[in-house]
Amino acid sequence: MPDGISRRMFLAGTAATVAVGSMPSVARGQGGAIRLGTLTPLTGAGGNYGPSMLKAMQWVAGEINAAGGVLGKKVELVSEDDQTNPEAGVRAARKLIDVDKAVAVMGTWASAVTTAVAPLCWESRTFLTTVSGSDTITQLPHQGYLVRTQPNTQLQGKKFAEFMVSVGSKRVAILAVQAPFALPTQKIVGDELKKRGAELVSAIVYDKDKTTFRSEIDQALRAKPDMIYLNGYTPDVTVVLKDLFKAGYTGAKIAQAYAVNTKLLGSLPPEVTDGTYTIAPSPSVESAAYKRLAKALGNDDLDPYSCQTHDHISLVCLAIAHAKGEATGTTVKDHVRKISQGRGTRVESAVDGLALLAQGKDVNFDGASGPCDFNEIGDILDTKFRYEQADKGKFKLLKIA
Amino acid sequence: MLGEVAQLALNGVMAGTILAVPAIGFTAIYAVLRFPNFAVASHLTIGAFAGWVANTVLGLPAAASVAVAFVVAGVAGVVNDELLLKPLRPAGGLTTAIAAVALTIVLENVIRFVFGNDLRGYALPIRRDWQLAGVRIGPQQVQNFALAVMAMIAVFAFLGFTRMGKAMRAVADNPTLASIKGVDADRVARLTNFVAMGLAGVGGMLVGLDTSIDPLTGFRVILSVFAAAVVGGLGSIPGAVVGALTIGVGEELSLLVWAPAYRTVVGFAAILLVLTLRPRGLLGERAY
Repeated sequence: MPDGISRRMFLAGTAATVAVGSMPSVARGQGGAIRLGTLTPLTGAGGNYGPSMLKAMQWVAGEINAAGGVLGKKVELVSEDDQTNPEAGVRAARKLIDVDKAVAVMGTWASAVTTAVAPLCWESRTFLTTVSGSDTITQLPHQGYLVRTQPNTQLQGKKFAEFMVSVGSKRVAILAVQAPFALPTQKIVGDELKKRGAELVSAIVYDKDKTTFRSEIDQALRAKPDMIYLNGYTPDVTVVLKDLFKAGYTGAKIAQAYAVNTKLLGSLPPEVTDGTYTIAPSPSVESAAYKRLAKALGNDDLDPYSCQTHDHISLVCLAIAHAKGEATGTTVKDHVRKISQGRGTRVESAVDGLALLAQGKDVNFDGASGPCDFNEIGDILDTKFRYEQADKGKFKLLKIA
Repeated sequence: MLGEVAQLALNGVMAGTILAVPAIGFTAIYAVLRFPNFAVASHLTIGAFAGWVANTVLGLPAAASVAVAFVVAGVAGVVNDELLLKPLRPAGGLTTAIAAVALTIVLENVIRFVFGNDLRGYALPIRRDWQLAGVRIGPQQVQNFALAVMAMIAVFAFLGFTRMGKAMRAVADNPTLASIKGVDADRVARLTNFVAMGLAGVGGMLVGLDTSIDPLTGFRVILSVFAAAVVGGLGSIPGAVVGALTIGVGEELSLLVWAPAYRTVVGFAAILLVLTLRPRGLLGERAY
């Protein structure tokens, strides 16, 4: 056969045909796979978290596919990097929505990115799950196409104020990065401090792209605070902490745990960081979901965001399975609360939930991040917080409450 | 109030001096090669990382690491220009400038690929500032200031007293005349790239010494560098210094009027004002 099909090719082709024929129906359904988009900060200020957030989702997708997929279809992840940058986030979201036709976009981290991406999602009826905390996000007219697993600014601000007063602070200054949460946090913390007999003496919003914050710090210190709340991201908070030390500030410091994290402690000498308090929404460390994920990712101390994205993909897949029809953003929107809360059987993994749903039972998913129960605008109803303090370059756990 | 102004002015002079180093590089390339080379941003980052490797991995002191930053960024500048920008120059300044922007994005991502996204700090002791008559100043700031001033003195001496420096000025002033006189434009271009990108690298390291570095270090300061060069007069080397000090002090003093979040406005406003009222910049475009 000089120019036709060679014997070898014929044999290979036949073998392939036979192999396809003998595969379970799930694999043949590849064409109709359920495509989900991930949009995490693989680079930029959130670059410490994005890769692990993505891995958590990939692991869940792998587990679901190994157990037969969702309604017999494979889950296919398309991953993009939002670069912790709204512009890059919008470009990536456009691609996920228009080109990949993703049912859901999962995992946006920075509030500015989520704020920019959310309108694209609700306009195209794509479901968006996020870990951003700014109050303004769930107040957007998203028509239900958005849920978040991160407590909002209101709840976080209250916890911060409570804690600052509990350690004896009377005069608080806030140094905040320019971000959607900067002003709402200022207001909430100010109000909550006042209720408890303390005072917000100075509030400064700075531009993160500057190379030094000496003048901003001078301005804050002029108000003579006894506690400074560093409400920024790791790159800028690193510089602010150094500048505070150089300026001779010896009072108390507090920050979000995503800003003052192990990486930051590693990059600065202990005398600069010691004593800094951190507060973070705590993952549900005792849950089976958390333990399984920790084992899968080979990390005993999971960050809250990887736990949250683990829950995002689980929720989306369960909602699709609950709807039993075509997988679209609208079906996820209509069904997500039917599997996340209510009287169904409590499950801690998507695979278990999918099995129960296939038997026609109801489920209530509790994830690695917490109970994952949502109110009507997509905020979570309850979560725990973890309080830590930097001590000789390491974190010391104060309490989880 | 007076103390506050003094402190802000001091901070501004310190920031401006550091800014002047990459601004000289930017404007020198413009003077000789006639295009705004935005790849200064990534070479700033390259220098910062080269200095970081020298300082933390090889254990060199800050001053020696600055020299490493100069050489590595300079060599990178020459190679990148030879391979990528030079072939595009006949297509015009705008094409080359756009290519330079693209180049800077590529180089930043190469750095990201090699070093990752993490913040890195130099292995330097962090010391409390000195307080002098109500104004505070950091030991590191003083050292950076000294290094920046030394780099500038070296540049001016090179341009003023060496044969190659004079050749550079000749090409900048009148390329045709220079070539008639037998000045090898290619050699001058290469040398300009080496010195200018080297200075960008030194600037990157100086910026990072007081703070920390990551792959976007250069990108963050390029607007201020560009503003400094435009304000001083694109192509004028003393102008770049004047421009950088103007931007540095202006950004700091603006804090008296508005919130720190609007500090970047100063750069844009300065570009706008200068281009409207005095397009040649404060010192005009004579190179030296």
